[in-house]
Amino acid sequence: MIFASSIGEDLLRGVLQGTPPGTVYGLIAIGFVLAYKTSGVFNLAFGAQAYVSAAMYFQATNAWGWSNLWAFVLSVVILAPALGLTLEWLIFRHLPTDSSLAKLVIAIGLSVALPNLFELIVGFEPVAGRTPQGLLPDGATVFYDPFGVYAFSRDELTAMALAVVSVAALTALFRFTAIGLRMRAVVESPRMTELNGIRADRVSAFSWALSSLFAGLAGVLIAPRFNTLAAPDFFNLVVVAVAAAAVGRLVSLPWALIGGLGLGILIALVNTFLPDLARDHTWLAPIQDNITAAMPFVVLFGLVTMWPALRTTPEQSDPLSGVDPPPPVPAALTRSRLLTRMTQIFAVCFFAVGSYVVLTQADASWMFLVTQSVILSTIFLSITIITGFAGQISLCQGAIAAIGGFTVFQLFDRFGVPVLGGALIGALIAGAVSALLSLPLVRLGRVWVAIATLAFAAFFDAVVVKLPFVGGGGTSLLQGTRVPRPVVGPWDLADDSKFLILAVVVFVVAATAVSQIRVGTVGRTLRALRGSEVAAQSIGISPTRARVVAFAISGFLAGLGGAMLSIQQQNVNYSSNFAPFAALFWLVLVVSLGARSVEGAAYAGAGYALMDGIIFKGAFVGWILRSPERIPSFFPISPKWRFVLFGLSTISFARHPEGLVENGKRKAHARVEKLLARRRTSTRTELEESVA
Amino acid sequence: MFRLPGRVIAGSLVLCLTVAACGNSTKSTSSTTTAPPGKTGSAGGAEHRDEFVKSSGVPGVSDKEIGFAVIGTKTNNPLGSCILDCYLDGIEAYFAFRNSEGGIYGRDLKVSEVLDDELSQNQQRSLDVISSDKSFGAFQATLLATGWGDLDQAGVPTYAWGINATEAANRSNIFPSLVVRCDDCPNPVVPYVAQERGASRAASVGYGVSENSKVCTKTVAEAFDKYEGDSGVKLAYTNDNLDYGLPNGIGPEVTAMKQAKVDFISTCIDLNGMKTLAQELRRQGMDDVVLYHPNTYDQAFVKAAGTLFEGDVVSVQFRPFEADAEGTALEDFLKWMDKQGSEPTELAMVGWINATLAFDGLLAAGPEFDRAQVVAATNAFKDFTAGGLLEPIDWGVAHTPYTAADPSPKTRNCGAFVIVEKGKFVPMSSPSKPWLCWKDGKNVDFTPTPTSFE
Repeated sequence: MIFASSIGEDLLRGVLQGTPPGTVYGLIAIGFVLAYKTSGVFNLAFGAQAYVSAAMYFQATNAWGWSNLWAFVLSVVILAPALGLTLEWLIFRHLPTDSSLAKLVIAIGLSVALPNLFELIVGFEPVAGRTPQGLLPDGATVFYDPFGVYAFSRDELTAMALAVVSVAALTALFRFTAIGLRMRAVVESPRMTELNGIRADRVSAFSWALSSLFAGLAGVLIAPRFNTLAAPDFFNLVVVAVAAAAVGRLVSLPWALIGGLGLGILIALVNTFLPDLARDHTWLAPIQDNITAAMPFVVLFGLVTMWPALRTTPEQSDPLSGVDPPPPVPAALTRSRLLTRMTQIFAVCFFAVGSYVVLTQADASWMFLVTQSVILSTIFLSITIITGFAGQISLCQGAIAAIGGFTVFQLFDRFGVPVLGGALIGALIAGAVSALLSLPLVRLGRVWVAIATLAFAAFFDAVVVKLPFVGGGGTSLLQGTRVPRPVVGPWDLADDSKFLILAVVVFVVAATAVSQIRVGTVGRTLRALRGSEVAAQSIGISPTRARVVAFAISGFLAGLGGAMLSIQQQNVNYSSNFAPFAALFWLVLVVSLGARSVEGAAYAGAGYALMDGIIFKGAFVGWILRSPERIPSFFPISPKWRFVLFGLSTISFARHPEGLVENGKRKAHARVEKLLARRRTSTRTELEESVA
Repeated sequence: MFRLPGRVIAGSLVLCLTVAACGNSTKSTSSTTTAPPGKTGSAGGAEHRDEFVKSSGVPGVSDKEIGFAVIGTKTNNPLGSCILDCYLDGIEAYFAFRNSEGGIYGRDLKVSEVLDDELSQNQQRSLDVISSDKSFGAFQATLLATGWGDLDQAGVPTYAWGINATEAANRSNIFPSLVVRCDDCPNPVVPYVAQERGASRAASVGYGVSENSKVCTKTVAEAFDKYEGDSGVKLAYTNDNLDYGLPNGIGPEVTAMKQAKVDFISTCIDLNGMKTLAQELRRQGMDDVVLYHPNTYDQAFVKAAGTLFEGDVVSVQFRPFEADAEGTALEDFLKWMDKQGSEPTELAMVGWINATLAFDGLLAAGPEFDRAQVVAATNAFKDFTAGGLLEPIDWGVAHTPYTAADPSPKTRNCGAFVIVEKGKFVPMSSPSKPWLCWKDGKNVDFTPTPTSFE
């Protein structure tokens, strides 16, 4: 009896202890659902928006000494909606309504840019131990214990109350008001809504202001949970809260809140009961060791892959999208033979001169960066395959690449396998893992594939890396995950220039293979599926098979690149190279520059590795001025500006979804063709005149 | 290039700090001398300090200056603590101190370049230092240490914040401020502190995301078991699987500790996690439980926490600021930090200690120095204490780690501790002898000897 009452009390306490964090997840999940319902955007920048308001509130109360009320008005009532309106006006208004890829990529870019932009403008810096205040006085120190089992702080009770009120108010808005219906209509098709006399742009602006207001409110409510107010913590919470949003299928606000509360309570209950159970039942120990920290991601992946309801959730699609013009033909297919030849000659010359300069002039630092850019280009080819060709969004390419790196480390460390052989095996394993991962995903919509792969990346980060046969476990404490450079015959690849040549050879082989895939059966099959899955099936194409093949090839390339990167850096350096957020940024860069071509991957690799040194650190200016001493003093530009510029570069993607490289190529070709045509005309005229 | 918010990125690396708190420190000899050891093959030693010998082809060395690069984490620092700027303060204060005496070999010591590694670009910044040839050596206070291998291969003397023990291992050109040779050797340090604070039932907790934190938690737990007979403190709870950042709170774990009647908690977590833990203890009416902090020697942080940490014990990696300064380099440190208008912080002290080793290495190498000679001379130091700021380090063996399975472990340990009283730090032992030292050997005596290295 005593035992039973003890369990009952533990259960109640676990539920109560899980409620405050569950409310936090719920608030973010509500924000996700609200953004998705009102704008069609799977808003990974929600955390960034919440952070901006929280930091503004913190700055106003702590640094400027404002009262809580005025700080709230500034950060939540004014700043948050203004931010939403700006984003809508600058970016999202210009996007095609059925472009889930574009919306996702831009949201990721904003999640990088917004916190840095805010910190630069306001001069805000996270400071350790400066816990943000809640909305009410003494919010963190006054406690209420309604059940005599576990006390809630005033801040926590405020967050819970506002979460419930928000859900009720927003549900009522969507269900009982005209504006609620209009918002959903505009998400589906602004053009069709306008045919009914509704100002779609105004409705869309209201939607963004509303969802941003909620992001601001959530940020201010969540902030007191952090002892250092920093943007990364908000992004981490967003990743966790996606699981709660999935419970609401991205459409139900009440279920999103319930999902968040359920997740918080589930984690608290597991942490209450599992340690004791694992002591009595040893088979539970590995679960306690490995799964507890990754529970939200396991729940999320399980939901996405096993809950049939998600497969039937319709993706946002504009019924009028059929009248949109088709995407432009690649510039390379429309240029004249002369221009093609000139381009090829220029490319060969550029490559030859560039190689000569790098191999003869570059110091260790530049050699490292150039090699890194080439290897990253190989990894980015995996995004070309999966996103550019197959039209799928994978947010776990970092984890897949890491598999290649860890394989090289483990095979060398445990069995003395030569690292280049290990790289090949690593690529094969990465390809196999990627293919296996794709099996439960092939029938899902793009957004759900993105969510599931994000869950896999987070799971890999939280659990897999810790495993002794992956990250080295306890043995890695003595030496880390060091990988040597190989010696191949007479070539000692410890020499950076020789290793660069190897990296270039690997990239050229990979790029040629990708080009062949594009024009071959696999590429055509994937293109057909992108065009119309039903039509493709009607001519005997198996979507499952085609997508699994695409994932496998993509995984192979990512694994190969990951292995090469580890060999180059002589260490896997998981945290620096392959962490989930880094991989998100890869996607942003490749898609912004051009996901459908090998050039796009190459430019993205170069941009990622070299732009920092060449542009932002002022090397280019130094070259022009012929002396590094003459570089103006405002270089190097603050790293935060780099994040802002890279993040906001996705805005261009709204107008040029084919990618900046392709767009630039088309414009350049048009200009050169015009020039050549004028030249031909004038030559002909001169000839005619001379003949006359 | 991007912001790295990932749990592992912030967690596994920052938590290397905990290894420093939990593992065994380097073997030391009984000597407490702080003077440079004199000649190490070349004409080194204090008597040659003013000799100028023209040098050519030595990177970073001109007729007037010896330049050092400083690399630190500033942008994207997930802890929000002052790292690069504070570290630089300490180095510049030390250089100002030595330059006021005439520098060394007719040259001033100078910071030639300051580089922010933005958390994830340590390797690039390290290669920048190697390529630029503007610096004789490098100072590093970074959360990730991906460039240490390159600096070591290039033979650049590198003096670093000692939180990345793994990356320092077996690299003879890398000199961390704190040497941890054995991560998993149980020692009597934490059980002794628990006994001193009147505890009877202890807990050991750490993060699951970091192998370092897990090993630290396990090692402390083993130490409680091993020394239970001596300390009278029983291990009542252990958890090496906390989620980094405690996003879901730590309610169930604190409840479990309450049910286990824990009155002392040893932690292997970061300072923000400590605050979350202390808040939850207060919520559940466990305010009087003593926390053992490995990473919280930050006066501003503790002050901002109000009374949350009252009565807790904080481990300090060097002679605490609150100890008697007279006769040690702490006196010079405080004086020169004041002269420079800088606050004495933990990272400033690390910078000062690193700069001291760089100077002593130069002095020992002699006026015709180069990088290799300085490294060789430094590695010949048997009892480096940075003027009484550290327990003695034998740099001849300090680069080589070992495990608890080692048949002849060198487990001598010293620790310095402060207690939080009314929001301020107070030395746990005598201010004149702030170090508590345990002797060598596999079965060490439980009772330490209060010591001072002067």
